Amino acid sequence: MLDRPLAPPPVEVIVAVTQALHREARLLDNEDFEGWLAMLGKDVSYRLELKSRRFRADRSPPLPFGPGVIFNEDLGRLKMRVDRLKSGFVWAEDPPNYIRRAVSNVEVLATQPDNEVRVHSVLVMHRNRIDGTTRLLTAGRTDLWRSEGGAWLLTAREIVLDHSVLPDSNLNAFF
Amino acid sequence: MNDSIADLVDSRTGRQSRSIYASEDIYRQELERIFGRCWLFLVHTSQIPKPGDYFRTFMGEDDVIVIRQKDGSIKAFLNSCTHRGNRICRADRGNARAFTCNYHGWSFSPDGALSGVPLENEAYFGELDRTKFGLIPVTKVAEYKGLVFGCWDANSPSLDDYLGDAKFFLDVWLDAMPGGSALLGETQKMVLGTNWKLPVENVCGDGYHLGWAHAGAMAAVQSMDLTGLSVGNSGVDLDGGLSVAGMNGHMVLSALDGVSGYAFYPDPKPILEYLEANRQTVIDRLGEVRGRQVWGAQVNITIFPNLQLLPGLNWFRVYHPKGPGQIEQWTWAMAENDMPEAVKAQILENQCLTFGLAGLFDNDDGDNLTACTEQSRGWRTAQMDVYTNMAVGRSGKREGFPGDIAAGLVSEHNQRYFYRRWQEHMMAETWAEVPTYNINSLTEQEAEHA
Repeated sequence: MLDRPLAPPPVEVIVAVTQALHREARLLDNEDFEGWLAMLGKDVSYRLELKSRRFRADRSPPLPFGPGVIFNEDLGRLKMRVDRLKSGFVWAEDPPNYIRRAVSNVEVLATQPDNEVRVHSVLVMHRNRIDGTTRLLTAGRTDLWRSEGGAWLLTAREIVLDHSVLPDSNLNAFF
Repeated sequence: MNDSIADLVDSRTGRQSRSIYASEDIYRQELERIFGRCWLFLVHTSQIPKPGDYFRTFMGEDDVIVIRQKDGSIKAFLNSCTHRGNRICRADRGNARAFTCNYHGWSFSPDGALSGVPLENEAYFGELDRTKFGLIPVTKVAEYKGLVFGCWDANSPSLDDYLGDAKFFLDVWLDAMPGGSALLGETQKMVLGTNWKLPVENVCGDGYHLGWAHAGAMAAVQSMDLTGLSVGNSGVDLDGGLSVAGMNGHMVLSALDGVSGYAFYPDPKPILEYLEANRQTVIDRLGEVRGRQVWGAQVNITIFPNLQLLPGLNWFRVYHPKGPGQIEQWTWAMAENDMPEAVKAQILENQCLTFGLAGLFDNDDGDNLTACTEQSRGWRTAQMDVYTNMAVGRSGKREGFPGDIAAGLVSEHNQRYFYRRWQEHMMAETWAEVPTYNINSLTEQEAEHA
């Protein structure tokens, strides 16, 4: 899929999709997981691949089964993660932790079919846990959003995490 | 210091001073007497298959590069320029014909030789003896069936003797099938604010925490009963597993049902088919006990001091210490080369789901271990002890297995042996003073026919 800068989507679409990103961040900050799941398409793909630090000139072949993932989820797997978080047994989340997401650098690009848009954004996630342990995680995201039944639904998200060593003891959080 | 080390751990009753998780002095001594002395895991041969392939890792806090040579052998060197000490390689892995230091441009070939010095004639007047400035090699490097280890101590036992009877269990992964083993995926790296001994202790013997600390994940993903454990720690079956220790500081937890390693796979069917199709082959190779009961079961293997692998759940991990209160935890997925491609892909996928950086299980442990570390730093807590005193004195020989064995996965038997080994190393001035023991060792014939 190439970015098609020729004809930007209508401004109403840009506003609606940008608002959807902000709404999604707010629902997740508030642990409204059911509200968040309702913003996802039935065919959603939610991925975050592992990386390694390699020299630019390095030509070694890709790993036989790929790099592995941090997230490679469909709707069922995301629901399973939500079930775990809501089980009442995830002690790391009780008391609830302070978490705030800021969405920025939003680019909404036209794509085919007409009822979909491709969206680049940056997510900054601030986590304050336990007795004040604070971690700032940043990630880039490339999404597909689809207009369906009067709402914009997230149908694909590729996340790039900007940390070669995860600086926190869990990722009980969605990007 | 030895007098105080003697008081810090009582492995007979199961008591540890909390200062061993907090003291800077003890940590410096660990770097010398444990990480400077023991055989440490460096790389799996599958991670550097071709000449020039390299992998960067740590031995204690020492940064090392492990490099596949032209002749297929493997060498390891300190990742430090012999001129001014700079790191010569900043990449995680790759393939290289040479490593060139960023500072002044000295370059080293994969065999460690100093191969290039800028302005060698003009500035050094041709007087630099290059042969004295090669990369510093790791004193000993040896392989056991794909696992490559390094050791700084010239007086250490051989790797074979160091591993001792733990090989009986390592072979359940490394040698069950004729094709051998491999690690899959990039390195999954996480910083944890814990002393390095706490995650080792957790995985080496602590079946007690599983049903409680991981209750949320078990409720969400468990696809079959795991013998010996239950969600919420509401019951326990001590007949279904073993806690095995007394093997030179190495420990094993093993269920005995031949399938429960895959209890945390949402869809275990393809792997159960693989196990069924190859069960007889493994029985022929390893005997009834390992082939029928251990291969495929939930098995935790700990190689002292900082390597842990769980054939079945298929994760493989080392802990690199970064001071008394911090580690980097590195994880990969582990597979058998004879597995069908689809099964290998599923293993990598499921390892990431359960014990990856966003692992449903793994994400439960970090905060507990961190808090145990922090609760050893207070003026008052540093004077206190912690305990691994469950089921003391209830171990012995078990037919068909080496080691001093306690019944069940829920016991603190293995942790006591871990801290005993820690103490033995910390009190010993040299390797000669470190005791060697393989309790209830099987004869070769017994092992084959077990």
